[in-house]
Amino acid sequence: MSAYLVRRLIHLVPTFLGATFLAFFVLQIAPGDFLTQWALDPKIRPETIERMRHNFGLDRPLLLQYLIWLKNLLHGDLGVSFMYQRPVLEVVWPRIENSLILVGLSILFLYLIGIPIGIYQALRPYTLPDYVISFFAYFGLAIPNFFFMLILIFLFVKFKFAFGWTPFPIGGMTSQGFEQLAPWRQWVDILWHAILPAFVVVTADLSGLTRVMRAQVMEVLGQDYIRTARAKGLAERVVLYKHALRNAVIPILANIGGLLPGLIGGAGLVEVVANWPGITPLLLDALLQQDLYVNVGIIALSSLLLIVGNILGDLLLAVVDPRIRYG
Amino acid sequence: MRNAIRLVIGLSVLLTAGALAQVFTWPAKWTTAKPGEAKPGGTLVDYTISDFRTMNPFITAEADSIPDRMTMNDSGLVIRDPTTGEWIPYMATSWEVSEDQTEITFKIRKGMKWSDGKPITADDWIMTYRIHMDPDVGSNSRDSFFIGDKPVTVEKIDDYTIKFVYPKPDAEAFAIASFSPWPAHVFGPVYEEKGAEGIKAMWGLNEDPKNIVTWGPFVVESYRPGERVIFKKNPYFGEWNQDEAGNPLPYLDRYQVNIYKDINAALAAFLTGEVDIFGPSTVEHIAQIKKAVKEGKLDATLKVNASPVASSQFVVFNWNKAKDPFKEKLFRSAKFRKAMSHLINRQAVVDVVYGGLGTPMYGSVYPVLTQWINKDAPKYPYDPEKAAQLLAELGFKKKDKEGYLVDAEGRRLEFNLSTNAGNNQREQIAKLFVDEAKKVGVKINFRPIDFNTLVGQLLAKGPDRPFDAIIIGLTGGGLDWPFGSNVVPCKGNLHLWNRSGTCLDPRETLMEALYYKGRTTLDFKERVQIGYKLQEVEGDLQPIVYIAGPNYHVAWNNKLAGFHPDEIISSIWGAYELPLLFQAK
Repeated sequence: MSAYLVRRLIHLVPTFLGATFLAFFVLQIAPGDFLTQWALDPKIRPETIERMRHNFGLDRPLLLQYLIWLKNLLHGDLGVSFMYQRPVLEVVWPRIENSLILVGLSILFLYLIGIPIGIYQALRPYTLPDYVISFFAYFGLAIPNFFFMLILIFLFVKFKFAFGWTPFPIGGMTSQGFEQLAPWRQWVDILWHAILPAFVVVTADLSGLTRVMRAQVMEVLGQDYIRTARAKGLAERVVLYKHALRNAVIPILANIGGLLPGLIGGAGLVEVVANWPGITPLLLDALLQQDLYVNVGIIALSSLLLIVGNILGDLLLAVVDPRIRYG
Repeated sequence: MRNAIRLVIGLSVLLTAGALAQVFTWPAKWTTAKPGEAKPGGTLVDYTISDFRTMNPFITAEADSIPDRMTMNDSGLVIRDPTTGEWIPYMATSWEVSEDQTEITFKIRKGMKWSDGKPITADDWIMTYRIHMDPDVGSNSRDSFFIGDKPVTVEKIDDYTIKFVYPKPDAEAFAIASFSPWPAHVFGPVYEEKGAEGIKAMWGLNEDPKNIVTWGPFVVESYRPGERVIFKKNPYFGEWNQDEAGNPLPYLDRYQVNIYKDINAALAAFLTGEVDIFGPSTVEHIAQIKKAVKEGKLDATLKVNASPVASSQFVVFNWNKAKDPFKEKLFRSAKFRKAMSHLINRQAVVDVVYGGLGTPMYGSVYPVLTQWINKDAPKYPYDPEKAAQLLAELGFKKKDKEGYLVDAEGRRLEFNLSTNAGNNQREQIAKLFVDEAKKVGVKINFRPIDFNTLVGQLLAKGPDRPFDAIIIGLTGGGLDWPFGSNVVPCKGNLHLWNRSGTCLDPRETLMEALYYKGRTTLDFKERVQIGYKLQEVEGDLQPIVYIAGPNYHVAWNNKLAGFHPDEIISSIWGAYELPLLFQAK
């Protein structure tokens, strides 16, 4: 087992190097750089732009830039953001924290809603409730998140016009006067803001999870040991929850490792539309402005988490499923 | 004896109070508020589209920044009177211009204090200037202290006197001196000890707001990344800024700026009353605000078409095409460019692209700079017949099988046009141009390309540059001398049509000479006359074919009052003076 772990960790190095070099290379072959946006500004002299390009190290050969970045990475330094003139981690971290809240809440929603629904459907396959639930789950999958969020905002603005208040806030992460609230009230306030966008994020993933859960439970219920359990007179509740469910959730548990990069990857364009100050709006800005080290930094962090997440997933699988052994 | 001491103390307090009395009185004509109407208290909620990047005034590079918001857009010794456009003393009380017009000595207003209570003196300007000028700091303001290649210098005479020395007389002398000071007692020790690196590490977004110091009406109270920044009233500002009734300014207690990544989110916030001020930029925005007001859901004032904005859209033809002499000759011909100007249906551009809310343009001076516009400068408005006639004079008389014009040697009148992909307005302008050109037999191959590639092509130097024609825009251009220092002179890097490094047309040489003449003429009226002449030459040369620009609109929630009178609401003066706004409801 530990040999396996060591091998996986060694594999990590070339994967990580490959991913970051590719990111570095692709980002740099796009025409222009961070300073191009000022080239047409009548107030800035071209020699100033050249001097800044030199100061930022953008006039060096690509490979050299990458090696310097790698060297700094070994010291825990992801480079300096051109936009903010601050270390990348300092710029990125508060945004990752914000995304974590949203993504964490939506994952919680996902499992709380998705697993019971999947079981419910598996117990009544090919009936009207099964079809109705599937329909809505696919609807959530089909509608783009950002668009769904826009529709909700539109509806809530209409609601506010009609009644003068809204059950959920229209965008943002905190209310006016947030700074004056007591700490526990601040948390309530943030959660209250997060519910709507988290719900929208869940709609996209719900169909996938319920389908997997439904198929798993149905498959397990057809197994011999379930028949045995029923035959020896166990209550249906015990059969379902003690014998069937434990086996049915294995692939879902194994998937948890895969959620890790998603946690810092943010909730995508929903964050932009809902005005949630997560990582996506920052990444969009950084891409548009070609803020090289912010982009590479985010990619490096998420590829690292992806690799670690996969390892964790495999280990978790071995823990929950005694049939699996790594050697 | 004790009484005598008390008397002396009393007197000295009175005297100090007397020294504080160098007050700047904000004229009542800058606001619609009736005298005595304004009450203290309340909050203004504004918004911005992109998040702030720093609180550090020396490294900020964005159009909208926290340091600018704290200092009323980088105001300083002098500000402009929005009713006249003239420079008036602000943090200075008076100035003297030397006889050869290369030195201006400012008397600094006495009794001004930083938001931490320390006095504001000449040292603050000197330190601010020194840090801006340090190339290692990388301040975006550094270039503004240069005239040509020579720097402007700033000297301290005494604590309340400061002298600006210019390499030559300059129309923008006051604009150069108008920068905002920053506290020497905060930045100075760090700069002396750690140099540029020390300065760059200061006042990031995670700085404790307690350490932020400004002279302006509001100082940072809190910042939440990607959400909002809140400023609170600077109590020392009111000691030297008062209204005509003698009330201290600003009236408002707080000034909040919400950050919305998406303009629709900002509009939704304005419509629901969360944001107090909104800058509509499309017909759709205006329609939604009008509807909300009409249905009684929103109590707001909307000013549509308040003025044109200070930006331009234009077509530029490349004069440097050594490898294609046919096109080079064509693009260097003023007659050809005039014909192209006749093919641009500017009214259609305004109607289609800007939904009727725009202004046609014929020259480089933005229409909003009304004092500078020479109405008699040559114009070549939409007229396809005249265009055809001019093209015939250039030898394009016959049409080929496909209906395009050809010259005597059978060469077709055809060129490529591009603009930055994703800019819908420019793409629409290009399509209108292509359609009109096709009608008279000019073939334009339009292909939008990536912005950075486009910039690379535009700024390429030398005798052969890789494009035919490009639609693009520039912003900026001052009220003192509205011609670009790197656009008009032939060596300028934004002399977009000809980057060979030398003037190719005698009219270019003349424009360059007039540019420098105007730039060094300090008398305003004389300078305007030179500007008129420059516009005549420019009109005749048509180095750039100007198209149109959008208009400026503004809307505000009526719970606030104290906005500008209608005459001075414009893209240049904005809709209000921050210290004069107050909560009406």
